[in-house]
Amino acid sequence: MTSAEVVRLTGVRKEYSDSVALDGVSLEIHAGEAVAVMGPSGSGKSTLLNMVAGLDRPTEGSVVVHGDDLGKLNETGLALFRRRRIGMIFQFFNLLDDLPALDNVALAAQLTGSSAAQARKRALELLGELGIAGRKNIYPAQLSGGERQRVAVARALMNRPALLLADEPTGALDSRSGEQVMDLLLDLNQIGQTLLLVTHDERLATRCASRLVEVVDGRVARETALERTP
Amino acid sequence: MRAAWRVARAAVRRRRLQTIVIGVVVGVSTATMVLALALLTMAAAPFDRAYAQQSGAHLVAGFDSAVVSDVELTRAADRPSVEAVAGPFGQVTLHDPTSDTMFLPPTMTTVGRADPGGPVDRVTVWQGRWATGPGEIVLNRTPGQFDGVAEGARITVSGGQVFTVVGLGDSVSASADAWVTPDQLTAIGQTDTQMLYRFTHAATAAEVGAGQAAVTAGLPSAALLGAQSYLALRQEVTSELGVYIPFLVVFGFLGLAVAVLIVANVISGAVVAGFRNIGVLKALGFTPNQVMAVYLVMVTVPSVIGCVLGTVLGNVVARPLLTDAFEGFGATDLGIDVWVDVVALLGMPVLVGLAALVSALRARRLSAAAAISAGSAPRVGRALVVQRWLSGIRLPRSVSLGLGIPFARPARSALTLAAVVLGVMTVTLALGVTMSVTAYRNAVDPPVADRVQVMAGGGGPGPAAPVAPDSGPQNSGPPDSGPPRLTDDEDEALLRSLPDATHVVAVSRQSVRTVGGNQSVGVSFYRGDTAGLAPRVLKGHWPDGAGQVAAPSRFLNRRGLAVGDTFTVEMGENRAQVRIVGISLTNSPNEIFADWDTLEVLAPDARADSYLVQLAPGSDQRAYIDGVEAGDPGLAATVATEGTSSQAVVLISTATLLTVILGVVAALGVFNTVVLNARERRRDLGMLKSIGMTPRQVTVMMVTSMGALGVLGGVVGVPLGVVAHKLVGPAMLRAAQADVLDIVINVYRAPMLVLLAVAGVVIAMLGAFIPARSAARTPIAEVLHNE
Repeated sequence: MTSAEVVRLTGVRKEYSDSVALDGVSLEIHAGEAVAVMGPSGSGKSTLLNMVAGLDRPTEGSVVVHGDDLGKLNETGLALFRRRRIGMIFQFFNLLDDLPALDNVALAAQLTGSSAAQARKRALELLGELGIAGRKNIYPAQLSGGERQRVAVARALMNRPALLLADEPTGALDSRSGEQVMDLLLDLNQIGQTLLLVTHDERLATRCASRLVEVVDGRVARETALERTP
Repeated sequence: MRAAWRVARAAVRRRRLQTIVIGVVVGVSTATMVLALALLTMAAAPFDRAYAQQSGAHLVAGFDSAVVSDVELTRAADRPSVEAVAGPFGQVTLHDPTSDTMFLPPTMTTVGRADPGGPVDRVTVWQGRWATGPGEIVLNRTPGQFDGVAEGARITVSGGQVFTVVGLGDSVSASADAWVTPDQLTAIGQTDTQMLYRFTHAATAAEVGAGQAAVTAGLPSAALLGAQSYLALRQEVTSELGVYIPFLVVFGFLGLAVAVLIVANVISGAVVAGFRNIGVLKALGFTPNQVMAVYLVMVTVPSVIGCVLGTVLGNVVARPLLTDAFEGFGATDLGIDVWVDVVALLGMPVLVGLAALVSALRARRLSAAAAISAGSAPRVGRALVVQRWLSGIRLPRSVSLGLGIPFARPARSALTLAAVVLGVMTVTLALGVTMSVTAYRNAVDPPVADRVQVMAGGGGPGPAAPVAPDSGPQNSGPPDSGPPRLTDDEDEALLRSLPDATHVVAVSRQSVRTVGGNQSVGVSFYRGDTAGLAPRVLKGHWPDGAGQVAAPSRFLNRRGLAVGDTFTVEMGENRAQVRIVGISLTNSPNEIFADWDTLEVLAPDARADSYLVQLAPGSDQRAYIDGVEAGDPGLAATVATEGTSSQAVVLISTATLLTVILGVVAALGVFNTVVLNARERRRDLGMLKSIGMTPRQVTVMMVTSMGALGVLGGVVGVPLGVVAHKLVGPAMLRAAQADVLDIVINVYRAPMLVLLAVAGVVIAMLGAFIPARSAARTPIAEVLHNE
């Protein structure tokens, strides 16, 4: 693995009891890249993301992220890996309803042992950078979809991850909120954040990604370098 | 309704964990309920139940055979007020029975009966068999009484006749000390005739008196030698064993409360956890009633199965427990009343139905959209101020998150907390009762380390020891040991002279009669180093001269006596006036203590029938015993053992068993709560793991969520347990007619209370750990992508 490589998948195969989700996938992602994975439903793109995030283990092959061979890590090791190396954004935000925006964001740092005060300070900075500092004390149920996704992005960035993973980040948003999130991801990539997006949304892919990986029936069918569209 | 039934069946099958949890919780709770109801039922009137079981005699009457004939007695009993009668039976008093293996009373009322059954006083033969031939005798003993009596023992009575014990029977009516065959009784020489009556009305002393008057009307005036009402017997037995009752009643109510709480919690939680499915069903066109029916069926099926199994389990567990606790009252083969099983089999499903209905009605009112979004759409959080505060405190985040979980479901947490509180209260009370019993036993029979008991069988004049002590060896010398070779003084000198002996007392147990009251009283006369080896004195002082006695409160209370009072006792031809100078810390209603000088007045030639020797700590007891038996082969020395009170054993074992059962039920409640919380928070757990929460942190978070309830349960439950003990302890002592002693009531110490408070945490953590571990293994990918 070269120093510029953040992710390397080698011959990854994932079998479930009655199906094969990934079949010999190899893929490299370099630092600063924004890679979009697209494909029809059931093609294996979410499974691919799970492998990179250490949420699932391959049946065969290896997954190395930022130098960590995920196959060699136990559950605790994987948790620590996720804590330090990656940030995740989900389609349905997955915020804790009982905590206001600020504390949802601070949570990621507090798990690493940061004090509440330090974590809140950094969380407030991130919320400010994402333009929702004024909503810091609002609970998820009172935030708009776009605001919730910004909180989720802030949480994902809290521990300065090497890789930001996004699973259908605009899938649950109206078009205006979706646009805002796209801009946010693009901005992040432009300041050096490595991105791996899984999406159905071709606009998101072409706008934010520098490379498109198309997955069909568990295999990488095509890789295409993209010219970002404004 | 067919669709509803199909969906309900599918839900039962698919939600296996929930179905199993409901079944197990309802099963264990039902078993607890059966046990609790059985205890409460038995505790209500144990003597009366035993009496009804044996068709006990309301009146046991002895008639002079020389004055009245059997025909006259039978005819006299033919009265409308007589419900049933047994007899006439031949009766005789056997004098001076002796045995190598047990203490026996100076006289034994012996009755000739062909069989133990009959319309009145059906004697329960609980060991061996009934007497069928010459030389066979059955002794009246309460089951569980450890006094050395055993089948096969030989008894020699005055006149040289020898009997072999072939069985042990129990007559609640206390109609005899022993039974032989009618032919055997005739051979001994019948002197009296026994009649046993049951009256149609016998609730009061007046009614029993009227019955007695009816059955003796027309008989010669001197015919009736004596009669015993069952009311007096009930008073006696209840005071002996009523000590259990307050304790068992409290445990019965605790068991019921815990069972009801847990079931309500589990069932309502199961319905709430299914809200999302309820929404889907509504969206598919299920009517609100059908939805409700689905959920009622879903919880009812495992509940009914659990209820049936729990009832069986309750019967299995309760039977030995009830036998241990109540056989002393004379009841045997103790079963559970049918109504208890019926109440459990019907009551528990009704409770389940009600708990499910309350939650199902909520589900019924929910719109389909609201129900579908339950658990997935963001909701307004609960107890937000607390959650916010917890976010900022200096604790690991997994801990502070766990502390916040109970606030998300306050009703569920409150029910769980209540179960933990009752669990801790039970542990506190049970431990308190155990310590009180131990403290009382230690006070009455102090620990006997490095002590040797020496029996001088075949002692001086007067009958063998009339009162069996609660502790120490129960024999009066080994077989063939013969009488002591040395005199009393020489034996005492021998015991003092052997190496390692530090203190020696000589004891002579004698039976005296109180002049006026005409009652037989056991007196233990002490000589020697009484300061360390005689019973402790609670008030006043130990007798230190002639004419002084110390007596237990129970003896004084029964006779309306107090310290300073005097009474006269006689033994053979001799009399002595004695003054009560102290209250002894013993609990016999018929045994008092006196100095040897008093015995010199009553029986100048009497010698000690036993000695108690205190050896130096760590000395070789075996060598000492060998020295005793070498010095006087007529002495039998044994290592003095701790007193084994059947009451104490039963109380402690009952307390332990009930504590374990209620603790398990409380822990099951916690288990269920964590299962439900984890199920509802699957999405949150997945998210937390996705941002780096380790499996250990997840476990810590879920265990902490219940640990907090455990701490609170401990803080609340311990004082409640202490208060319950303050009420139960004195009630038990009063029931035993014992003094309410501070050392028995004030048993809790501060460090112990702290440890007891930890019991709540232990119950909570035990219940929470397994589902917390399971939650830590929640597959993240599936949860996050599907929710």
